[in-house]
Amino acid sequence: MSSVFDQLLAEVQAVQVELLIDAQNASKKRPYIMCNSNLMCEIPVAFDCTFSHLTMTGATGTALPNAGELIDKGIELGVSSSMCNAIKVACYYLEAGLLTVPDMIITTNSCCDSMDTLGKLMNGYKPWAHIPRIQLDAPHHRDEEAFVYFGKQLRQAVTLMEDIAGRKMDWNRMNEVCVESNKQRQLQLEFQEMKRAVPCPAEPDLARLGSEYTNWIVERVSPKATDWLERLVSATEPRVKAKQGIDGVTEKVRYLWQDLAGSWPEGAVRQRLQKELGAVGVMDYVQFATWTPIDLSSEENMFTSFAKRFLLEDPMNRQALHDVQFYCDDILHIVKDFKCDAVIMAAHVGHHDVNSKLKIVKDMCRDNGIPCLVVGMDIWDKRVVPPDVVYEKIKTFFEITGLI
Amino acid sequence: MKSGLDSKTFDKLSVIAGGTMNPSVQNWKNNGGKVIGYTCSFVPEELFIAAGLLPFRIRGKGSKNADLAGDYFVPASTCSFVLNCFNQVLLGEYSFIDGAVIGGGCDANRHILENWQHSSVKTPFLQRIFFPHASNEATALYFLKDLAILKAQLEEHFAVQITDEKLWDAIKLCNETRDLQRRLYALRQVDSPPISGSETIAVIVAGSSMPKAEYNADLKTLLAELRGAPVKDNKYLARLMIVGSGHDETSICDIVEGLGGLVVADLTCFGGKVIFGSVKENGPDPLQAIADYQVLDRPFCPKNLDAHPHLNKEIFDKIRDYKVDGVIGQTFRCCETWGGELYVLKKEFQETGISMLKIEREYIPDSLGQLRTRVQAFIEILTGGAS
Repeated sequence: MSSVFDQLLAEVQAVQVELLIDAQNASKKRPYIMCNSNLMCEIPVAFDCTFSHLTMTGATGTALPNAGELIDKGIELGVSSSMCNAIKVACYYLEAGLLTVPDMIITTNSCCDSMDTLGKLMNGYKPWAHIPRIQLDAPHHRDEEAFVYFGKQLRQAVTLMEDIAGRKMDWNRMNEVCVESNKQRQLQLEFQEMKRAVPCPAEPDLARLGSEYTNWIVERVSPKATDWLERLVSATEPRVKAKQGIDGVTEKVRYLWQDLAGSWPEGAVRQRLQKELGAVGVMDYVQFATWTPIDLSSEENMFTSFAKRFLLEDPMNRQALHDVQFYCDDILHIVKDFKCDAVIMAAHVGHHDVNSKLKIVKDMCRDNGIPCLVVGMDIWDKRVVPPDVVYEKIKTFFEITGLI
Repeated sequence: MKSGLDSKTFDKLSVIAGGTMNPSVQNWKNNGGKVIGYTCSFVPEELFIAAGLLPFRIRGKGSKNADLAGDYFVPASTCSFVLNCFNQVLLGEYSFIDGAVIGGGCDANRHILENWQHSSVKTPFLQRIFFPHASNEATALYFLKDLAILKAQLEEHFAVQITDEKLWDAIKLCNETRDLQRRLYALRQVDSPPISGSETIAVIVAGSSMPKAEYNADLKTLLAELRGAPVKDNKYLARLMIVGSGHDETSICDIVEGLGGLVVADLTCFGGKVIFGSVKENGPDPLQAIADYQVLDRPFCPKNLDAHPHLNKEIFDKIRDYKVDGVIGQTFRCCETWGGELYVLKKEFQETGISMLKIEREYIPDSLGQLRTRVQAFIEILTGGAS
């Protein structure tokens, strides 16, 4: 990897650490909002409040050196044995009283049963019973009516935030934040467009990290994040023109990892596949960007845009909330547009929605001549199916399909 | 299930609950009637009845394994209730239905629709309806919109007109069913109930597997028989309540009652949740009345983020009214939604001194010996070792 990409990677990894301490930094000077899901980040940023997405906090916990211990603590709670381990860690943080007490709780049913259950535990946590809260119903529809419906609920959440903070939303500031956000999403799309090139011009996972930078960490929607994305795009552009691939990688296979990257597969499996086999995971759940700009023409349109982003474009909501055909269409488009040779379905144990679609996906891939492997693993806990086993499974799959 | 009831009516209902196709449905079909399957208690039967259809709740009863469904879902991470229900569909056990509406509740359940469409089982009418995950006027209104769409789809496919008058009639019929079922439950509040937990579940399950009018008539007969029967000298060690996911078969009740316990109440997807309250029988719009009932009056689905306070109240009321000694929280493996609900409930039970045994199991009970031992130990704890 070139030094520019090294620098970008180091920067994004540094700010990722801030995700963990975001909640701890929650100062009483600013209202602190906790959600079980990824509420549109533009809202808390514009309102100048501290925000945490407890699912993400749990997921980050599974990347810590003591991840096994944290997951085991979550298992010991006995909520549900099959629940996603990222959520188990989040539940442990909650039940052990390790979290800063929020000033407001927002829960939604998006996007999976486990995240819904986390919302249930947040709402049922007695020490927080006095905290004002709102529950948002994320519909499984993806039409304009659904966006308007959910947008109104987001607006209600803002009203509650205003009541709690005793101040109004500064709509000029909201406008500024949305402009910045639109700029960032455009840059993400530009980087994504460049990943169509063969060979892939940059570490594809930078797209995921960029998405996390703009969505989930303290510097979300900041000019600093925009600058990061601009440098990413600038550094990648000449490589596309020069048909230059990832440094040190002779690209032989391009695949779609149809799940989240999780806390360990990127380093322990995907990087190894890339380095040893020239197999590049050009796309995954979080890398895949379908962003449309926030409509700034009116307050109502702005919230409808937020809703559309949340329901249809937010990573994972897009893949988990909707019907199977929509999911399959995305796979087909990605495979075609990014010239993927294969689809790897991680089939994470906690993703019951994905695990309810597998035959349809496998049949669709077969009908379209796309090699597809279903792994079956826990993307947050490498003790379930160890990295070596996952690696060997994928390697064997590439071998028997003649891709390597 | 062994029954101590000497009642031909009960025997009839028990047979219906114990299988899928049954004489009452056959008779309906022989007379040219159409049957529509559905998968969740939040799919309103009233709409189907108003369309002249016989609603039949899809169950897993009779399933020996979920091998066929295992091709569609990853078995290790899918609720075995969903797996076994869908397996029965794939085996052709539901070949008598003319259509099905899938409830859009949990992740696995809602994808039954596409898997069914993808399978070789060709069912002419397949739709899905989603339920809101929060309870307020806006969500009820949104659900009303979806109900209106489903109504139009039914009208078009089955070439019927679902008038307001037919809907009000269907609402009254289903309200009567719920009222009779609640009367049956009330009989279990006494010290020596005339009907066991297993028997009650069988009677309630039958209600979603045969024509409503016929069921109501049978239930009236059964209630009269039970009221007129000599008081049983039931000897039981503890009065128990079952709370949790789909409970369309009696295996847990059978175990509890075989070990000297008596199941006097439940709040499950096939039992107490189904019989709750009534749809308003008047107003400007019968569909609105149904939507309000499902979303505002009985937000008991644990997938609903607002459900807990309502479930909590209903459960604690039942514990008081039915003189419950302990609660069995049962959930199917991979059912996160009930898992979360039971976790929150368990803490509240601990605060109020109510004992709960949590059972996470497969739909087709395995490790029966282990299960018996746990239930027996629980009863012993409740009785101070009297068993």
